[in-house]
Amino acid sequence: MSYAYLFKYIIIGDTGVGKSCLLLQFTDKRFQPVHDLTIGVEFGARMITIDGKQIKLQIWDTAGQESFRSITRSYYRGAAGALLVYDITRRDTFTHLTTWLEDARQHSNSNMVIMLIGNKTDLESRRDVKKEEGEAFAREHGLIFMETSAKTAANVEEAFINTAKEIYEKIQEGVFDINNEANGIKIGPQHSPSSPHAPSGSLGQQAGGGCC
Amino acid sequence: MAELETNHLPEVCRDKMYSNDSKHRTLSVSGTTDNIGIRQRRRLHAGQTDNHTDDDEVKSSPTKADRNLSLPGKQSAACAYCKGIPTTRQKYLLIVKALQSDPIDVITLKQCAISRGGLISDELRAKVWPHLLGIEVTQVKFLPESSLMKYREYKQVLLDVNRSLKRFPPGMEESQRLGMQDEMVSIIVQVLHNNPELCYYQGYHDIAVTFLLVTGQSLAYQILEKLSNEHLKDFMYKTMEKTTTILDYMLPLIGKSSPELRQFMERSGVGTIFCLSWLITWFGHVLPDFKHVVRLYDFFIACHPFMPIYLATAIVLHRESEILECECDMAMVHHLLSKIPADLPFERLITIAGDLFISYPPTDLEPEVILYRKNLELKNEENKEVVRRRNIGPSLSITPRFISKRGAAIWALSAAVGVCAYVVYHYGVRWY
Repeated sequence: MSYAYLFKYIIIGDTGVGKSCLLLQFTDKRFQPVHDLTIGVEFGARMITIDGKQIKLQIWDTAGQESFRSITRSYYRGAAGALLVYDITRRDTFTHLTTWLEDARQHSNSNMVIMLIGNKTDLESRRDVKKEEGEAFAREHGLIFMETSAKTAANVEEAFINTAKEIYEKIQEGVFDINNEANGIKIGPQHSPSSPHAPSGSLGQQAGGGCC
Repeated sequence: MAELETNHLPEVCRDKMYSNDSKHRTLSVSGTTDNIGIRQRRRLHAGQTDNHTDDDEVKSSPTKADRNLSLPGKQSAACAYCKGIPTTRQKYLLIVKALQSDPIDVITLKQCAISRGGLISDELRAKVWPHLLGIEVTQVKFLPESSLMKYREYKQVLLDVNRSLKRFPPGMEESQRLGMQDEMVSIIVQVLHNNPELCYYQGYHDIAVTFLLVTGQSLAYQILEKLSNEHLKDFMYKTMEKTTTILDYMLPLIGKSSPELRQFMERSGVGTIFCLSWLITWFGHVLPDFKHVVRLYDFFIACHPFMPIYLATAIVLHRESEILECECDMAMVHHLLSKIPADLPFERLITIAGDLFISYPPTDLEPEVILYRKNLELKNEENKEVVRRRNIGPSLSITPRFISKRGAAIWALSAAVGVCAYVVYHYGVRWY
């Protein structure tokens, strides 16, 4: 299926905060109560519409354990958006946000849109991090913020789509250099300003198949 | 060969014997020699040199008719490859004899672990694995939970073990499974507690559960501790840099057999992270069928610690035509490769991995791997854009090949003599 733009995302955050479950809910609209842990990186994709334009989200779900960090970092650089996830029932996952953020900022392009996500709002009775704390952290570091539940799907669509909207706006404002694929944005084949016979290096690329 | 009595053999053993011979049944019952000929030709065209079908794994129990037609010893003359390979019953007897000999015949046990079918049953695995690793079996005393809880990674291990449901047999009672999960936590934490220089990684528990299911808690602890100081040691540093070094062997190794595939994969920018979980869990995390997992564990325990990356390479090479047909794009190729097909011909892949190892042992490959890493780092530093061509040109052949001339020669040799002999004899009994 063709698209106007392709945005590359990464999902980062401590292990067990629900990164893979958020991705599964967004791409497959389902929830796995006991999701197998992610080793290395996994991958998902979905098409969305913004401003009447088809946008393909290519999402890289990374392992949360510290020891994998050296491996997963290489995926930061080519991302236009990042979902930084913590678990509202585990304070340690919130306190580690600073490290994650530093890491992301250091290894990604400076325009990357970062969405902070407090996940597992379905476990309200076990809440350990107040919503206001998440909001304050986001404000302080210039991030967008949402609380979600991968289980009930609350705000999951919004989290992914709002991030895309922010990226889209930046493109409109000319903040992103869309001619540089390293920014995590690719222009769809029929939208490419280059001619179809342009030399290699042109932006146009075949849209991925169903899965990617 | 006279018909053999099979009644005294373990059930799993009998099943395997019959199922292994199912291909001969096809030959004799259907009389479809033409079809077989076509299949052979197709397979030979694909660069394969044996007569075995891809589904050369253990099948369901045979019917009465199957038994009449496929008793061991009634092998068809058409299958020359089988001539040099012992039947499952013969192998069973070989393993028992090796276990009973004084001193224990470890070389034979290693050969059996590597060769077709591996160690046949979990019962035999529990007896043989300790000998392959030089373990003196004792009854291990486990620390109480209160002590385990003090270990720095206890919480993490607990979380991961709680998420390991799919690694237990589907029919297992919940109470039994919960008990085994407790045992799993205690095995892992105690190994880490007794070996403070080792760091826990996610996926380590996938290895622990395999041993626990086959050998029970005490022996699983001993095996895990031994392996953690040998085969798994490179994965147990604070960071995964050593592991990355092992992953770096894959593309140079692929290039030896198929420069075209290596070039394609490098152009796509896919890297090798797709097989990280294969390597550090010895495929335990990714293969749904437990019998395949334990079969591979037989192989890996008996071989050099780098063998899992050789097997991973064999899998990628096996899928070469599929990969070359894929769009040359990082995400597409990653997606394709990270999903392991359910019907991989593991016995054949094991032989190919062994052949690759013999042809290109780690020490020979090392300079090229270092160069590969340097180029990769240089590329990263320069932040070079990898510009991918939209389509693979029609001139790009997608015909799968096997391995280079040297590799092909070794393949023929090892198919005849048995790859196990080479791996065992050329690389000694112990790796450390």
